[in-house]
Amino acid sequence: MKLDTSGLETTMPVIGFGSNSEMLDGFSSAPSFDLPRTTDFDGFQKKAVEMVKPAKGTTTLAFIFKEGVMVAADSRASMGGYISSQSVKKIIEINPYMLGTMAGGAADCQFWHRNLGIKCRLHELANKRRISVSGASKLLANMLYSYRGMGLSVGTMIAGWDETGPGLYYVDNEGGRLKGDRFSVGSGSPYAYGVLDSGYKFDMSVEEASELARRSIYHATFRDGASGGVASVYHVGPQGWTKLSGDDVGELHYHYYPVAPITAEHVMEEAAE
Amino acid sequence: MSIFEYNGSAVVAMVGKNCFAIASDRRLGVQLQTIATDFQRISKIHDHLFIGLSGLATDVQTLYQRLVFRHKLYQLREERDMKPETFASLVSAILYEKRFGPFLCQPVIAGLGDDNKPFICTMDSIGAKELAKDFVVSGTASESLYGACEAMFKPDMEAEELFETISQALLSSVDRDCLSGWGGHVYVVTPKEVKERILKGRMD
Repeated sequence: MKLDTSGLETTMPVIGFGSNSEMLDGFSSAPSFDLPRTTDFDGFQKKAVEMVKPAKGTTTLAFIFKEGVMVAADSRASMGGYISSQSVKKIIEINPYMLGTMAGGAADCQFWHRNLGIKCRLHELANKRRISVSGASKLLANMLYSYRGMGLSVGTMIAGWDETGPGLYYVDNEGGRLKGDRFSVGSGSPYAYGVLDSGYKFDMSVEEASELARRSIYHATFRDGASGGVASVYHVGPQGWTKLSGDDVGELHYHYYPVAPITAEHVMEEAAE
Repeated sequence: MSIFEYNGSAVVAMVGKNCFAIASDRRLGVQLQTIATDFQRISKIHDHLFIGLSGLATDVQTLYQRLVFRHKLYQLREERDMKPETFASLVSAILYEKRFGPFLCQPVIAGLGDDNKPFICTMDSIGAKELAKDFVVSGTASESLYGACEAMFKPDMEAEELFETISQALLSSVDRDCLSGWGGHVYVVTPKEVKERILKGRMD
């Protein structure tokens, strides 16, 4: 669809050029753009911008390191501005060696992860061997792709340990599936990425990695209003996953930044000003 | 989210026995992102009159500056401090002047009037006064605050007990709100003194 610029063109022939109109082509008409085929142009622009905005109020992260995969998440559920719960389990145990994280709609994530667990078990029974992380994430991604556009809200990471070693995939409701070794999902993810990326080394021990994961979640809960509650940290190793810690973020703040008690002299100074 | 929820806020005032307490949270945010954790929402007009403003932070600061200006003029002309009831009427008039382009904030006014009788009131953003005998609330956490205050309030509390009550009500309410919290700021005012305290709250 091109803009109608006929109103800008002059009907009078230019003196001196006569019938040779090729010289004018490209100069007389205003530049025109291809526009989206829609009746509601302004609304379409707005929707395009909304599509890019992060809507999932949470912070989850996962990364691969020497000793396996570290998975961490906060535990806050928010409905607009209201905190509906501070104790939501956002790390879902698909089976003893695979974990999924929850970001987006709680019901969507819980249902589809459970569904994935069922499919993984059926695969085990049919093929007499465990499903790979790659296979499991593909099953989930294909399922979500078939419901594309229907309003599901799922931003999940599938983390596990299979024959090829540690595996980490990001899967979302658009049907996207990415393999990687560091991901963070949710409204608090920019803050978590800042801490995670600056502290990450492949050669970390389990303690160092769990402290990095916990710190990243803590910093995200401090800055992001939609993240908070408890920072849970899980580790996936060759023997399966184990829960390492679940620390209340309110207490973590004063653990990292203890409040120094103000002495009486301090108070007198302020009063004298 | 509406424009009133852009910065996030929580303010509450309670009446005690010949004293009052006014408290607010300390967060300044831009929608979900927290920018500061030491934002001043409660300001002193004179020793026995405080105003807490919730809502859009820029309007909070501008409105406070205008009110201080008007009160200083009053002090110069009348050679005395304004009574809380008079001040409430002044705020209401200033807000209604902007009826068709309002200040996007809700004030909570608390003061000690004649005979040290505590006075509290709140207003909506265009100046509708609401006087109360027990407590008033405003901000994004107002619904939670109503519930908490209703449950915890008792009439005729002394200053220390009033401080405990208002602090607990504030902290438990902001813990249910994404947009307010990150600490608390409480002023307890008796005829003799003003005690200002900072509360240690959840920083998430």
